[in-house]
Amino acid sequence: MKPAQAEQNLQVIRTLMERATLYHRALGPIMVLAGGAGVSAAVAGFGLSIGQRSGFVAYWLAVAVAVVAGVFLLTRRQALRDREPVWSLPTRRVTSALAPPLAAGLMATGLLRDHDPQLVVLLWLLAYAAGLHAAGFFAPAGLRYLGWGFALFALGTLGYALHCPVSARVSLSSLDAAHLLMGVSFGGFHLLYGLYLLLDQRHANTP
Amino acid sequence: MNPAPFQNLDRVIHEAGRMAIMSLLAANAELSFTAIRDTLKMTDGNLAMHIRALQQAGYVGVTKSFQDRRRRTTCSLTAAGRRAFDKYIDTLAEIVRQSQG
Repeated sequence: MKPAQAEQNLQVIRTLMERATLYHRALGPIMVLAGGAGVSAAVAGFGLSIGQRSGFVAYWLAVAVAVVAGVFLLTRRQALRDREPVWSLPTRRVTSALAPPLAAGLMATGLLRDHDPQLVVLLWLLAYAAGLHAAGFFAPAGLRYLGWGFALFALGTLGYALHCPVSARVSLSSLDAAHLLMGVSFGGFHLLYGLYLLLDQRHANTP
Repeated sequence: MNPAPFQNLDRVIHEAGRMAIMSLLAANAELSFTAIRDTLKMTDGNLAMHIRALQQAGYVGVTKSFQDRRRRTTCSLTAAGRRAFDKYIDTLAEIVRQSQG
């Protein structure tokens, strides 16, 4: 056996052990929490009729902070229950994979906060897609597919905005359309993936 | 280079599929058959064959139970399996150390 292959085997072992730990860390409830919050916030956003574009950005950033806090509490509860460290190496790797695209998205949001909110949503979708895809190398592969889903949804929305005839478009204000995009993507996609994980775990059986 | 580490590699574990299975089980008290299969993207038959080989070597224990009226198979490392896997990792690390002089 060549030393390079031994080193590669060790890396494979390390990666699989870390990924198995994260899988066990209940991605399902986290996704359901994020999805439920996204859908609820989108419905509330319609009702609140936020008039200003900067208000839209502040509203959804507040929702994001609340979701992150909820995810942290869920993760901490499970780690304490399993007597594992909360800030484990796999968690650090996923966080560091998510950090650059999310930070870039946040900084760009500051520049775009007074622009069309749908443009801001597209930026968030693409930044989040990049983050999920990167995190998927240290976590279940489903996260990479979810990232692709966000990216394709963003590109599909952009295509619709650019090429759909005005007469054929759904009649919504720019803010309402932006809330709808957030609800479908950050709400619906997370919720569907979370429910799939929970059902898959519940009905695990042998052939 | 000392050939001993190369000769000490556990041939049961030293196969890509079985090494991957042992890696997953080393990180969890137990895992279901389908969780292992989906994580490693193996077919049912391929996974069953590897699990059987590890079971015959005494490295993996298999438990069959019922959950919501469905049969559920879970796998876990035995104490011997854990020791063998630790030794396998140590052997790999020794090979790498030797190559670095």
